[in-house]
Amino acid sequence: MLAELLSDIRYRLRATFRRDEMERELADELRAHMERETDKLVRGGMPVDEARRRAQLAFGGVERIKDDARDARGLAWIDIATQEIRYTTRALRARPGFTLAVVATLALGIGANAAMFGIVDRMLFRAPQYLRDPSSVGRVYLGSTFRGTEYVGEALEFPRYQDLTRWTSSFSQFAAIHIQPTGVGTGDASREMSVGVASATFFEFFNLRPALGRLFTAADDALPAGERVAVVSYGYWQVEDGGRRDIIGSKIQIGPVDFTVIGVAPRGFAGINTGDAPVAWVPLTSWASLRGPNFTENYSWGWLTVVARRKPGVSVASATADLSAAYQRSWLAQRAIEPAMPTIESAKPHAVFAPTQTERGPNAGPEARGILLVGAMAIVVLLVACANVANLLLARGVARRREIAVRLAMGVSRSRLLGHLIAESMLLALLGAVAGLLVARLVGGSLNALFGENAGNNVSPFDTRTLLYCVAITIGVGVLTGMLPAFHAGRSDVLTDLRSGARDSGYRRSRTRSVLVVVQAALCVILLVGAGLFVRSLINVRSLPLGYDADHVVYAQRNMRGVKLNDEQSRELMRRLVDGATTLPGVVSAATAASVPFYDHESTRLAVPGIDSVSRLGRFQMQRTSADYFTTVGTRILAGRGITVEDRRDSPRVIVVSQTMAKKLWPGKSGLGECVRVGSDTMPCSTVVGIAEDIKERHLSHEAEGNYYIVADQTEHTNSGMYVRVRGDGESSADPVRRGLQRLMPAGAYVTATPLSELIGGQQRGWKVGATIFIAFGILALTLGAIGLYSVIAFGVQQRSRELSIRIALGARVRGILGMVMGEGVRLAVIGVAMGAGLSLLSARSIATLLFDEPANDPLVFSVVAIVLLVVSIAASAIPAYRATRLDPNVALRAD
Amino acid sequence: LNKLDLPQGTLDLLILRTLSLEPQHGWAISERIHQVSKETLLIPQGSLYPALHRLERRGWIKAEWGTSDNNRKAKYYALTRAGLKQLDSERAAWKQLTAAVALVLDTGL
Repeated sequence: MLAELLSDIRYRLRATFRRDEMERELADELRAHMERETDKLVRGGMPVDEARRRAQLAFGGVERIKDDARDARGLAWIDIATQEIRYTTRALRARPGFTLAVVATLALGIGANAAMFGIVDRMLFRAPQYLRDPSSVGRVYLGSTFRGTEYVGEALEFPRYQDLTRWTSSFSQFAAIHIQPTGVGTGDASREMSVGVASATFFEFFNLRPALGRLFTAADDALPAGERVAVVSYGYWQVEDGGRRDIIGSKIQIGPVDFTVIGVAPRGFAGINTGDAPVAWVPLTSWASLRGPNFTENYSWGWLTVVARRKPGVSVASATADLSAAYQRSWLAQRAIEPAMPTIESAKPHAVFAPTQTERGPNAGPEARGILLVGAMAIVVLLVACANVANLLLARGVARRREIAVRLAMGVSRSRLLGHLIAESMLLALLGAVAGLLVARLVGGSLNALFGENAGNNVSPFDTRTLLYCVAITIGVGVLTGMLPAFHAGRSDVLTDLRSGARDSGYRRSRTRSVLVVVQAALCVILLVGAGLFVRSLINVRSLPLGYDADHVVYAQRNMRGVKLNDEQSRELMRRLVDGATTLPGVVSAATAASVPFYDHESTRLAVPGIDSVSRLGRFQMQRTSADYFTTVGTRILAGRGITVEDRRDSPRVIVVSQTMAKKLWPGKSGLGECVRVGSDTMPCSTVVGIAEDIKERHLSHEAEGNYYIVADQTEHTNSGMYVRVRGDGESSADPVRRGLQRLMPAGAYVTATPLSELIGGQQRGWKVGATIFIAFGILALTLGAIGLYSVIAFGVQQRSRELSIRIALGARVRGILGMVMGEGVRLAVIGVAMGAGLSLLSARSIATLLFDEPANDPLVFSVVAIVLLVVSIAASAIPAYRATRLDPNVALRAD
Repeated sequence: LNKLDLPQGTLDLLILRTLSLEPQHGWAISERIHQVSKETLLIPQGSLYPALHRLERRGWIKAEWGTSDNNRKAKYYALTRAGLKQLDSERAAWKQLTAAVALVLDTGL
């Protein structure tokens, strides 16, 4: 048995690798046989020619025998495959137009999928690089309820992190990290870069071998102050340091102080974040000691992301319960110190143990909610592309019917024919995939820009997972597009086909193709309806009055980076910055500010004579600012005045409130001249001098929030940020403003400048992404669908040319022919539109939450899409219909 | 009666049996079977060579190029030890089978 197996393998190997030799031997052997047979007949008295003929006759087809012998040799499949590939390549090269159309169609479909897969994978599925056993690791989120609203966050206080570590038993590892944009480098070379602050335990979650030196350990990371050591990223080492080995032991300035470089992290290590890798990692306790006691000693400062690893056998549910119990115990411990804290009963503190990808956590952004939808749409586009290719292949299959019948008649087995058709579609799919990857690479950059940093930077479609995905969909596409034509070919009746050929018989069998066109139209409708809904949402969200002018405002912030100023110096510097800004070219005005919409918020206790509890009337947001604030950001003053240079430190306190706040506090009155005590009821009155329009500060919604504005100089605080109004657009003005202000800064400190539109833009991104992707996919699908419909109708006309010619010969009117041909195209489109609209309505509920102010069954969107599809279908069938009217009866009737 | 279709699988047995006498090339094998069977069995040429290749792959026969009687190059097939064993077992099985079939056919039921 074993010997037989070995012999078999040896033989097959020889057959595979020495095939030319074996082919030659076989040919020799068969020739020898024939000669002997001829000799024998000649010896029996037959003339040589006759003998040779008889021998050949008795022998049968030499090629057939060769084929069978090859089969017996057990390498038929290699043979067939190479043969098929050669044959198919030749056939495809002979029809470059057809091949190009198919490959381009598939390239768009597969390219869209490859590009989307990369993003979906990075945002939702791919585990961070180097992370050991990712499924057991999670982020810890803590939630509590405040005034009826539940807040869930991942910014934990240091003592809380200690409490959770101490009071849980379900976890084998705990670590805390914090990613902080910080000035790195010395003097002019310093730039703001992201720095990773991590507990030493963080590295133990990963399989890390430093590229150079060592990682920091528990000895470096101990309270109260850790060692000032840093592990720099591989990228930083290569780019900033040129990859020199003597980086170990050198100093790197991070924030105000120098750290000693002890190691280089392995290439690509970015912790558990998907964005850029931090340029350096420093021990948590050494960082915290620089920022003051608040960072480690009390519950006042939440700044840490906590990650933990479940012990084997502990379920997520019990791990979560364990964390929640520990959080409640920690809550009580905090309450013992701060008795003003809400009770456990009212705050309901609880923990969430979620995957490391933020987009799978409780605070996932709208991008994450929409991304699976968008990924699904990419697959829809691929299906449309597949339908198109199947359609083209079917059309060609009909045209090749006679060729196929000939092959069948010559004894090609049906399975072999099937193999041939599959080989053809596989080869096409492969070409499409290669082209598709190029497409994915081309659009990859803009897709990343669209999705923002959570999609991960520096991505290329040429990574293993994307390639594997592409291989999978390519095989799928090959089988899917090959099956239908193969099924059709397999069913064909040899005799009928041989007799009639490609001429007439195809027409009545085009039902499959019609179904494909209907499916395409339906899928187009789904995509275009999605596009319409998202575009309307984006328009709605853009037209929402913000109450300030995002396009022409730059937010600049100073960062002192360890330069110590006293209160008076700090105020003086701010004054200098504001004055300096107004002298810059292109700048209209400037004012200091304490908070930025959608970025940070501030509020404090308010007391108003005659009102028991101001906080019960609503949540009012505070802005601390200076003169010219309202004209600078573009918030209109509806009554009274804004803040002016007359409102100094020693002048009477003033306050400006928003329209909604005034209405809530003093219903029926203007609010001007009223008294508000800011901070506590013992503070002096701030007089309401102006009523401002409402602004969107925390949510993009119709709900009006209350806002009030006080004079920074009339409080104990100094602002560190300022708004600068520019004449041009904020985007291009940000850098000139930064450079202009930087000159005013003391050495070592620096300024950052961000266009306000960028800060707001993030809020609108979900709809922008949805609108862009759906439009792109919708147009893609519509184009493909139009081509599909065109090809079906055009082909139908070609198939029916005899019938149509006879009609024309018999006196059919042009209008009749046009109507007949186009009617068919429109009929298919109408069925498709109806189906697509139905499916869209069915899925309306799942998309409704992603829209803004837009019903998912918006009749306007649906009717526009229906009209677009009908127009396209009329256009696509008009060309072949026109051609049908031009048929010359003589030509068609005489053919064949 | 000048031609009989061979039942499935018997061709292999006949080839093995023919080769058990002496190594032969393809044409001679078919001639030999034709003669020995008193011209009853005509080997379908189309299946002879595939069968030879199949047997070679299984290691029951081996092939060698040699020179034939009239100085022509020919590919000679010879039985291997495994082939001999295979022949014995197939032959026994065949005899059993034919005997059984004959029994059924000849016995008045």
